[in-house]
Amino acid sequence: MSEPSRQYFEDIQVGDEYLSPGRTITEADIVAFAGLSGDYNVLHTDAEFMKSSIFGERIAHGLLGLSISSGLGARAVARPFATLAFLGLRWRFKGPIKIGDTIKVRMKVTVKKETSKPDRGIVTVQRAVLNQRGELVQEGDTELMIERRK
Amino acid sequence: MPRYFEDLEVGDGFESPGRTITEADVVSFAAISGDQEALDFTAGEAGLLPLVPELLIMIMSSGLGFRAPAEMPQVLAFMVFDLYIRLPVRVGDTVRCRIRVAGKRPMKDAGVIVEQRQMVNQRGDVVQEAEYKLLVARRPRE
Repeated sequence: MSEPSRQYFEDIQVGDEYLSPGRTITEADIVAFAGLSGDYNVLHTDAEFMKSSIFGERIAHGLLGLSISSGLGARAVARPFATLAFLGLRWRFKGPIKIGDTIKVRMKVTVKKETSKPDRGIVTVQRAVLNQRGELVQEGDTELMIERRK
Repeated sequence: MPRYFEDLEVGDGFESPGRTITEADVVSFAAISGDQEALDFTAGEAGLLPLVPELLIMIMSSGLGFRAPAEMPQVLAFMVFDLYIRLPVRVGDTVRCRIRVAGKRPMKDAGVIVEQRQMVNQRGDVVQEAEYKLLVARRPRE
Protein backbone atom coordinates (compact mmCIF):
# COMPACT_ATOMS: atom_id res chain seq x y z
CA MET A 1 0.00 0.00 0.00
CA SER A 2 1.47 3.35 -0.95
CA GLU A 3 1.33 6.27 1.41
CA PRO A 4 -1.18 8.97 0.44
CA SER A 5 0.59 12.00 -1.02
CA ARG A 6 0.85 14.86 1.42
CA GLN A 7 -0.35 18.44 1.03
CA TYR A 8 2.46 20.95 1.19
CA PHE A 9 2.12 24.64 2.08
CA GLU A 10 1.61 25.49 -1.62
CA ASP A 11 -1.22 22.93 -1.96
CA ILE A 12 -3.26 24.28 0.94
CA GLN A 13 -5.57 27.22 0.19
CA VAL A 14 -7.42 29.61 2.48
CA GLY A 15 -11.06 28.51 2.36
CA ASP A 16 -10.35 24.79 1.97
CA GLU A 17 -13.00 22.92 3.97
CA TYR A 18 -13.36 19.41 5.35
CA LEU A 19 -16.17 17.61 7.15
CA SER A 20 -15.38 14.48 9.16
CA PRO A 21 -17.48 11.37 9.66
CA GLY A 22 -19.41 11.21 12.93
CA ARG A 23 -18.43 9.38 16.11
CA THR A 24 -20.74 8.45 18.98
CA ILE A 25 -19.29 9.18 22.41
CA THR A 26 -19.81 6.26 24.78
CA GLU A 27 -19.46 5.72 28.49
CA ALA A 28 -16.38 3.59 27.72
CA ASP A 29 -14.69 6.57 26.08
CA ILE A 30 -15.18 8.66 29.22
CA VAL A 31 -13.94 5.93 31.57
CA ALA A 32 -10.88 5.31 29.40
CA PHE A 33 -10.15 9.01 29.19
CA ALA A 34 -10.38 9.44 32.97
CA GLY A 35 -7.77 6.70 33.30
CA LEU A 36 -5.46 8.17 30.69
CA SER A 37 -5.65 11.76 31.90
CA GLY A 38 -6.03 11.18 35.64
CA ASP A 39 -8.99 13.59 35.58
CA TYR A 40 -11.60 11.87 37.78
CA ASN A 41 -13.65 15.03 38.39
CA VAL A 42 -17.21 14.12 39.47
CA LEU A 43 -18.53 15.79 36.30
CA HIS A 44 -17.24 12.77 34.37
CA THR A 45 -17.19 9.93 36.88
CA ASP A 46 -20.01 10.17 39.46
CA ALA A 47 -23.37 9.27 37.89
CA GLU A 48 -25.29 9.72 41.16
CA PHE A 49 -23.84 13.16 41.91
CA MET A 50 -24.52 14.32 38.35
CA LYS A 51 -28.22 13.39 38.50
CA SER A 52 -28.78 16.52 40.56
CA SER A 53 -26.51 18.75 38.43
CA ILE A 54 -27.67 21.12 35.68
CA PHE A 55 -26.64 18.45 33.14
CA GLY A 56 -28.64 15.65 34.79
CA GLU A 57 -25.96 13.08 33.95
CA ARG A 58 -22.20 12.65 33.47
CA ILE A 59 -20.65 14.67 30.67
CA ALA A 60 -17.56 13.96 28.60
CA HIS A 61 -14.30 15.67 29.55
CA GLY A 62 -13.86 18.73 27.35
CA LEU A 63 -10.45 17.46 26.36
CA LEU A 64 -11.98 14.10 25.36
CA GLY A 65 -14.09 15.99 22.83
CA LEU A 66 -10.96 17.74 21.62
CA SER A 67 -9.01 14.45 21.40
CA ILE A 68 -11.76 12.72 19.43
CA SER A 69 -12.08 15.74 17.16
CA SER A 70 -8.36 15.47 16.39
CA GLY A 71 -8.84 11.85 15.36
CA LEU A 72 -11.93 12.74 13.30
CA GLY A 73 -9.97 15.56 11.69
CA ALA A 74 -7.28 13.13 10.57
CA ARG A 75 -9.99 10.97 8.96
CA ALA A 76 -11.52 13.95 7.18
CA VAL A 77 -8.40 14.99 5.29
CA ALA A 78 -7.68 12.35 2.64
CA ARG A 79 -4.26 13.83 1.81
CA PRO A 80 -2.63 14.68 5.15
CA PHE A 81 -0.86 18.00 5.63
CA ALA A 82 2.95 17.92 5.55
CA THR A 83 3.04 19.12 9.16
CA LEU A 84 6.45 19.88 10.66
CA ALA A 85 5.14 21.06 14.01
CA PHE A 86 2.00 21.76 15.96
CA LEU A 87 2.51 25.28 17.33
CA GLY A 88 -0.52 25.99 19.45
CA LEU A 89 -4.21 25.97 19.96
CA ARG A 90 -6.92 28.35 21.14
CA TRP A 91 -9.99 26.39 22.18
CA ARG A 92 -13.44 27.19 23.52
CA PHE A 93 -15.87 24.76 25.16
CA LYS A 94 -19.39 25.90 24.25
CA GLY A 95 -21.65 23.12 25.46
CA PRO A 96 -21.66 19.65 27.03
CA ILE A 97 -21.09 16.38 25.18
CA LYS A 98 -23.21 13.66 26.76
CA ILE A 99 -23.02 9.88 26.55
CA GLY A 100 -24.69 8.83 23.30
CA ASP A 101 -24.07 12.13 21.49
CA THR A 102 -22.53 11.91 18.04
CA ILE A 103 -19.99 14.52 17.08
CA LYS A 104 -18.44 15.62 13.80
CA VAL A 105 -15.75 18.15 13.08
CA ARG A 106 -15.84 20.79 10.39
CA MET A 107 -12.49 22.31 9.47
CA LYS A 108 -11.60 25.35 7.44
CA VAL A 109 -8.24 26.83 6.52
CA THR A 110 -8.46 30.50 7.55
CA VAL A 111 -4.90 31.87 7.43
CA LYS A 112 -1.67 31.15 5.51
CA LYS A 113 1.45 32.96 6.65
CA GLU A 114 4.96 33.07 5.25
CA THR A 115 7.82 32.77 7.71
CA SER A 116 11.42 33.96 7.59
CA LYS A 117 12.43 30.43 6.56
CA PRO A 118 11.82 29.59 2.89
CA ASP A 119 11.18 25.87 3.49
CA ARG A 120 8.01 26.26 5.58
CA GLY A 121 4.87 28.28 6.26
CA ILE A 122 2.23 28.60 8.96
CA VAL A 123 -1.38 27.57 8.46
CA THR A 124 -4.31 28.24 10.79
CA VAL A 125 -7.14 25.70 10.74
CA GLN A 126 -10.46 26.63 12.34
CA ARG A 127 -12.29 23.66 13.81
CA ALA A 128 -15.93 23.43 14.83
CA VAL A 129 -17.22 20.39 16.73
CA LEU A 130 -20.93 19.82 16.13
CA ASN A 131 -23.33 17.38 17.77
CA GLN A 132 -26.16 15.39 16.15
CA ARG A 133 -28.50 18.40 16.43
CA GLY A 134 -25.97 20.62 14.64
CA GLU A 135 -25.19 22.53 17.85
CA LEU A 136 -21.68 23.89 18.22
CA VAL A 137 -20.17 22.18 21.29
CA GLN A 138 -16.50 23.15 20.90
CA GLU A 139 -14.50 25.33 18.55
CA GLY A 140 -11.02 26.66 18.10
CA ASP A 141 -8.03 27.46 15.98
CA THR A 142 -4.99 25.26 15.46
CA GLU A 143 -1.67 26.66 14.23
CA LEU A 144 0.49 24.31 12.20
CA MET A 145 3.91 24.69 10.65
CA ILE A 146 3.77 23.12 7.17
CA GLU A 147 6.59 22.10 4.89
CA ARG A 148 6.96 23.67 1.43
CA ARG A 149 7.73 21.69 -1.71
CA LYS A 150 11.46 21.22 -2.26
CA MET B 1 -14.08 20.32 52.78
CA PRO B 2 -14.88 21.27 49.20
CA ARG B 3 -13.20 24.46 48.02
CA TYR B 4 -14.98 27.24 46.20
CA PHE B 5 -14.29 30.41 44.20
CA GLU B 6 -13.92 32.38 47.45
CA ASP B 7 -11.10 30.09 48.62
CA LEU B 8 -8.84 30.85 45.64
CA GLU B 9 -6.53 33.87 45.56
CA VAL B 10 -4.44 35.34 42.77
CA GLY B 11 -0.90 34.04 43.20
CA ASP B 12 -1.96 30.70 44.73
CA GLY B 13 -0.14 27.84 43.10
CA PHE B 14 1.52 24.49 43.36
CA GLU B 15 3.71 22.09 41.46
CA SER B 16 2.33 18.62 40.76
CA PRO B 17 4.20 15.34 41.12
CA GLY B 18 5.80 14.05 37.94
CA ARG B 19 4.36 11.57 35.47
CA THR B 20 6.52 9.52 33.14
CA ILE B 21 5.03 9.31 29.67
CA THR B 22 5.20 5.75 28.38
CA GLU B 23 4.64 4.08 25.05
CA ALA B 24 1.46 2.61 26.59
CA ASP B 25 0.12 6.13 27.13
CA VAL B 26 0.70 6.96 23.46
CA VAL B 27 -1.08 3.76 22.38
CA SER B 28 -4.03 4.50 24.72
CA PHE B 29 -4.25 8.04 23.38
CA ALA B 30 -4.34 6.75 19.80
CA ALA B 31 -7.09 4.30 20.74
CA ILE B 32 -9.24 6.90 22.46
CA SER B 33 -8.74 9.76 20.02
CA GLY B 34 -8.70 7.68 16.86
CA ASP B 35 -5.62 9.62 15.78
CA GLN B 36 -3.28 6.88 14.59
CA GLU B 37 -0.49 9.15 13.39
CA ALA B 38 1.64 8.81 16.52
CA LEU B 39 1.69 5.02 16.30
CA ASP B 40 4.54 4.80 13.81
CA PHE B 41 7.28 4.48 16.39
CA THR B 42 9.91 4.01 13.68
CA ALA B 43 9.27 7.43 12.15
CA GLY B 44 11.44 9.41 14.56
CA GLU B 45 15.08 10.28 14.25
CA ALA B 46 17.55 7.45 14.73
CA GLY B 47 18.69 6.93 18.32
CA LEU B 48 15.88 9.00 19.83
CA LEU B 49 12.77 7.68 21.54
CA PRO B 50 9.39 8.32 19.87
CA LEU B 51 7.69 11.72 20.07
CA VAL B 52 4.60 12.07 22.24
CA PRO B 53 1.55 13.80 20.66
CA GLU B 54 1.36 17.38 21.96
CA LEU B 55 -2.30 16.96 22.85
CA LEU B 56 -1.48 14.01 25.12
CA ILE B 57 0.82 16.25 27.18
CA MET B 58 -2.00 18.78 27.52
CA ILE B 59 -4.30 15.96 28.67
CA MET B 60 -1.78 14.78 31.25
CA SER B 61 -1.52 18.33 32.56
CA SER B 62 -5.28 18.41 33.11
CA GLY B 63 -5.03 15.33 35.34
CA LEU B 64 -1.86 16.45 37.15
CA GLY B 65 -3.78 19.58 38.15
CA PHE B 66 -5.95 17.39 40.36
CA ARG B 67 -2.97 16.20 42.38
CA ALA B 68 -2.77 19.38 44.41
CA PRO B 69 -2.00 19.29 48.15
CA ALA B 70 -5.40 20.89 48.85
CA GLU B 71 -8.72 19.65 47.55
CA MET B 72 -9.55 20.88 44.03
CA PRO B 73 -12.08 23.67 43.78
CA GLN B 74 -15.55 22.75 42.51
CA VAL B 75 -15.07 23.23 38.77
CA LEU B 76 -18.42 23.60 36.98
CA ALA B 77 -17.01 23.93 33.49
CA PHE B 78 -13.81 24.26 31.53
CA MET B 79 -14.47 27.33 29.38
CA VAL B 80 -11.46 28.28 27.26
CA PHE B 81 -7.79 27.57 26.94
CA ASP B 82 -4.82 28.79 24.95
CA LEU B 83 -1.98 26.33 24.47
CA TYR B 84 1.57 27.17 23.38
CA ILE B 85 3.89 24.36 22.43
CA ARG B 86 7.52 25.08 23.27
CA LEU B 87 9.51 21.84 23.01
CA PRO B 88 8.97 18.23 21.93
CA VAL B 89 8.35 15.50 24.52
CA ARG B 90 9.57 11.95 23.97
CA VAL B 91 8.52 8.60 25.43
CA GLY B 92 10.35 8.19 28.75
CA ASP B 93 10.27 11.89 29.63
CA THR B 94 8.75 12.80 32.98
CA VAL B 95 6.53 15.87 33.07
CA ARG B 96 5.06 17.82 35.94
CA CYS B 97 2.69 20.74 35.97
CA ARG B 98 3.14 24.15 37.62
CA ILE B 99 -0.14 25.92 38.22
CA ARG B 100 -0.72 29.47 39.37
CA VAL B 101 -3.96 31.42 39.78
CA ALA B 102 -3.49 34.49 37.56
CA GLY B 103 -6.90 36.10 37.83
CA LYS B 104 -10.41 35.78 39.21
CA ARG B 105 -13.71 37.40 38.28
CA PRO B 106 -16.91 36.88 40.27
CA MET B 107 -20.17 36.29 38.45
CA LYS B 108 -23.70 35.94 39.78
CA ASP B 109 -23.77 32.25 40.67
CA ALA B 110 -20.16 31.26 40.03
CA GLY B 111 -16.79 32.76 39.27
CA VAL B 112 -14.15 32.61 36.57
CA ILE B 113 -10.65 31.54 37.57
CA VAL B 114 -7.74 32.12 35.20
CA GLU B 115 -4.87 29.69 35.66
CA GLN B 116 -1.40 29.82 34.12
CA ARG B 117 -0.03 26.33 33.62
CA GLN B 118 3.47 25.27 32.65
CA MET B 119 4.42 21.72 31.78
CA VAL B 120 8.03 21.06 32.73
CA ASN B 121 10.20 18.07 31.84
CA GLN B 122 12.80 16.25 33.97
CA ARG B 123 15.49 18.74 32.93
CA GLY B 124 13.38 21.68 34.08
CA ASP B 125 12.61 22.87 30.52
CA VAL B 126 9.14 24.27 29.90
CA VAL B 127 7.62 22.08 27.15
CA GLN B 128 4.14 23.63 27.03
CA GLU B 129 2.39 26.65 28.49
CA ALA B 130 -1.33 27.16 28.78
CA GLU B 131 -3.87 29.56 30.13
CA TYR B 132 -7.09 27.98 31.39
CA LYS B 133 -10.35 29.74 32.16
CA LEU B 134 -12.48 27.68 34.55
CA LEU B 135 -15.96 28.29 35.86
CA VAL B 136 -15.85 27.58 39.60
CA ALA B 137 -18.79 27.30 42.02
CA ARG B 138 -19.28 29.96 44.68
CA ARG B 139 -19.67 28.90 48.30
CA PRO B 140 -23.33 28.03 48.84
CA ARG B 141 -25.18 30.33 51.24
CA GLU B 142 -26.12 28.74 54.55
